[in-house]
Amino acid sequence: MEERPNALLLKFPGTNCDGETARALEVAGFVTEVLPITRVTELALEAAHLVVLSGGFSYGDYVMAGRLAQLETERKLGDSLIRFRDKGGYLLGICNGFQILTKLGFLPRGSLINNTSGRFICHWTGLKREVSGNPFMNGLPESFELPVAHAEGRFIAPEGAAKSYLAKGLVALTYSSDINGSSSAIAGLTDESGRVLGLMPHPERFLWACNHYDPDWQGDGSEWGWGYMMFKSIHDTIAAELAVVSV
Amino acid sequence: MTVMSPDLPVENFRRIAIRDLDPEGLGELSEDMKLSLSIDDMIEIQLYYAAEMRREPTDVELECIAQTWSEHCKHRIFGARIEHCGPGGEEVIHSLFKTYIKEVTERIMERKPGFVLGCFIDNAGFIRLDENKAVCLKVETHNHPSAIEPYAGANTGLGGVIRDILGAGKGAKPIASCDVFCFGPPDIDSADIKAVDVIHPLGIMRGVVRGVRDYGNRMGIPTISGAVQFDPAYIYNPLVFCGTAGVIPITDIDKQMRSDLRIIAVGGRTGRDGLKGATFSSMALDTESHEDDQQAVQIGNPIEEKKAADFVLDARQRGLVIFITDCGAGGFSSAAGEMLSEVGGNLYLERAPLKEPGMTSWEIFLSESQERMVLAVEESALPQLRELAQTYETELTEIGESDHSGLLKIWHDGELVCELDNSRLHDAPVRHMRSEFIPGVSKADMDWVAGDLAADLREVLGDFAICSREPIIREYDHEVQGNTVLKPLAGASGDAPQDASVVRIDGSDQLMAMGLALLPEWGKSDPRAMGRATVDECVRSLVVAGANPERIALLDNFCVGNPEDPRELGMLVETCKGIAEASEAYSAPFVSGKDSFYNYFETEEGAVSIPITCLISAMGIVEQQSHVTGASIRKAGSLLAIVGLSGSDLGGSVYARVKGVEGVKVPEIDLGAALESYRTFHKAVAAGLILAAHDISEGGLAVTAAEMGFSMQAGLEIDLDALPVSGSPGSVARLFGESPSRILIEVAEAASGQLEELFTGIEFAVIGRTNAAHAKLRFTDGGEYILDAELASIKEQWKNGLTHYY
Repeated sequence: MEERPNALLLKFPGTNCDGETARALEVAGFVTEVLPITRVTELALEAAHLVVLSGGFSYGDYVMAGRLAQLETERKLGDSLIRFRDKGGYLLGICNGFQILTKLGFLPRGSLINNTSGRFICHWTGLKREVSGNPFMNGLPESFELPVAHAEGRFIAPEGAAKSYLAKGLVALTYSSDINGSSSAIAGLTDESGRVLGLMPHPERFLWACNHYDPDWQGDGSEWGWGYMMFKSIHDTIAAELAVVSV
Repeated sequence: MTVMSPDLPVENFRRIAIRDLDPEGLGELSEDMKLSLSIDDMIEIQLYYAAEMRREPTDVELECIAQTWSEHCKHRIFGARIEHCGPGGEEVIHSLFKTYIKEVTERIMERKPGFVLGCFIDNAGFIRLDENKAVCLKVETHNHPSAIEPYAGANTGLGGVIRDILGAGKGAKPIASCDVFCFGPPDIDSADIKAVDVIHPLGIMRGVVRGVRDYGNRMGIPTISGAVQFDPAYIYNPLVFCGTAGVIPITDIDKQMRSDLRIIAVGGRTGRDGLKGATFSSMALDTESHEDDQQAVQIGNPIEEKKAADFVLDARQRGLVIFITDCGAGGFSSAAGEMLSEVGGNLYLERAPLKEPGMTSWEIFLSESQERMVLAVEESALPQLRELAQTYETELTEIGESDHSGLLKIWHDGELVCELDNSRLHDAPVRHMRSEFIPGVSKADMDWVAGDLAADLREVLGDFAICSREPIIREYDHEVQGNTVLKPLAGASGDAPQDASVVRIDGSDQLMAMGLALLPEWGKSDPRAMGRATVDECVRSLVVAGANPERIALLDNFCVGNPEDPRELGMLVETCKGIAEASEAYSAPFVSGKDSFYNYFETEEGAVSIPITCLISAMGIVEQQSHVTGASIRKAGSLLAIVGLSGSDLGGSVYARVKGVEGVKVPEIDLGAALESYRTFHKAVAAGLILAAHDISEGGLAVTAAEMGFSMQAGLEIDLDALPVSGSPGSVARLFGESPSRILIEVAEAASGQLEELFTGIEFAVIGRTNAAHAKLRFTDGGEYILDAELASIKEQWKNGLTHYY
């Protein structure tokens, strides 16, 4: 029987999208474990193929979104997450997870700060896929939609950096319109290996077609939403790697 | 070594001499201690201590009794004996709750066995979702705290009702929240506010919305449903309702206390914040409230609650919870009272983790600090629970144990500071009250002159009563948990209003719809009609969204001004009659509720009371995903059909209010016919005949059709001559009248014959169609266009009504 890849979801106090994100991972084929940060060990990381940081308000996002989670992760795990990545592991950060991964330095330099409106926003948004062949994005069309829900989603980078990220293929996703003031409309970033992805939109909230606001939404004609395609894409990538290893 | 803090009190508690006080002295004592107890209550307490305890009470005991007997906790007005003088003559009502709520529900439960799985006793009411799961709902008010400190008041209002769900059964999982606000108009001139320190409605609105936002979003519970009412009568006393729904395995609903269990507190620490909230909310507001009672408003910390919630849900899944309740009003005293009121037990106050040193016994026992849950567990489960608490980084403290003494014994540093016989503790004297209701004279069949109807439509769409709530809705995360399949704003454009919201539930094929209604404008002239129509609108909003009308349960939340005023109490009595009639007729049982009195403010020019406000909220079962029905036009070339009769009375309508016309009769309602039409509608939904449907409510048919059109998929043409009517409504009444029980339906042309057949014998007519040729909303009457408006332009008006103020 085909080996199912393992996903490990790290949960902080205030993480609140762990349930639906774990569900999406399971539905896509991962064996999924949700582990509170107090119980995470290097051993647990070693067994995982994909480490996920889901949405929420880790430690209330007090001080700055993701800041306390970054410190706690560093204190708890030291360099093990870096070793995990260097050994070929995949990392996915959604919304608050994106903020944490950015703070931890796994993604191109920058910061996620308050939306220009100064408000929390919860709505669906058009997205443009800026990369091809990224392991998280196979099967996604060039333009698609996902919901966003954040107060601190505006990505800013040092002068000129955002454009260079675009040029280097580090920008995975951009918004089709300016929803929060992000530099170059950046909605998601990847690292140079392509194995780390952070994004503000919530793919786990668009698992099924019925999640869409429009009852007549067709998508690709299946029962699935675009969010599912992302989880499926990373699952299939890892499953293919595992198949090669086991052969 | 003990370090003495300089502000440690000399004593933890004191004895209060009451034996020799005369009634006047007792009244003064109640006032001095802010007990909110009447002289009769105090005499009852005096007798109890003299005859049975043969000693003087401690301050802890008096505070404990005061909060237990407070209106907030005991609902003594709903339990009172009321001599009511109404249109039907004089009568004596022995408990509004028993007569108009509980007994109605009991009759419905007999007719529908196995549907209601718990009501009125626990933290929330439960109904069956499927073989294994139940859903539950609770709605609370947090009016006075929100008036004084809008952000914190609303913040903890939502935090509190979420804890109600966490403490429902052995711990339900919160899956959706709703919020309803009643504010003064945001454009009122500050100079018109007749009291010092009253916060402008704009400040109240912004604070309250952000309070709900910051708690709900952080907890990861989608806020999917809500309403906002604006009326000058709410300037001094705004209303804030917060509700949360949960899901729980049916086998975890029943909880039984027993002896020899450990009592543990989990979550936040205990502090001086939130002292006497229960008694505070049982008094009227005045300028002094704003100065003195700040400490009655608690400070919220949603992450503390999130950690406690993760702990509780995990512990329940592991079968470690025997009994659980939240620390709400009254803090430990009410939680302990609930847990130990029958079996008895000990609580040790010095064990409670505190936010600050030097708290006296009553302060610790009565504090309403947020984010605390109290559980009863087996001693053998403690190690596992401690480990779980470490996992989720929440504080767990063993604070006592149950025994079988039947006595509630509170200890503090080795001293018995409170000993109460619980069978007596919950036995407040029944109040005797008087009420009257004299119906005002209201004009029926008024002749409304049709002027510029398109301009009228614009005015109504832009009115605070109707305009889009989008600026508020977008600040709430209504998608977290990934299950919100019918969102508060949806349709092809993603921003058109819907009726109820629907969430799917993990592990079940069935879904839950949640909706609500309130019609305070109706109650001003006819509270009984308001009661009926509010239940009708709430039930209809769920049915329209796809819920089975046989599987809907209701909650009642009343807000009333001064109950000592027989006329205000009379309005409440009449409202109760109305909701009871509709609940009975629809077999939609009440499963939970809450009331809030003393919603009036003493200004220098006299007391300003709120209008009687009755929020009906509901949960209903949508049996499968395909039944979920939106309220937005989907296609050009469909037919539009209406269910129900349109009458000529515009009382209570937004149109009448906008035009400044008062004293108009409110519409009639035929509950039997309405139920029959809802059942038929549901058959049509199940048969897949309905493309979209919207309940016709505030703003009437014109607004309903416009709102359906806001998906911008097609133009709409409606012929007002085709409406089934009662009486002879003119074009204004046909467009803007708010006759209840009506639904506007979009049906594919090919399915319309079948739909018509299904509705045989029910007021139903095809009245229009959707049109690809234009993007307008057009009404004809007598073959002529009487209203013709570009959808894009009226949508703009509707969409931006609040944006300037928010």
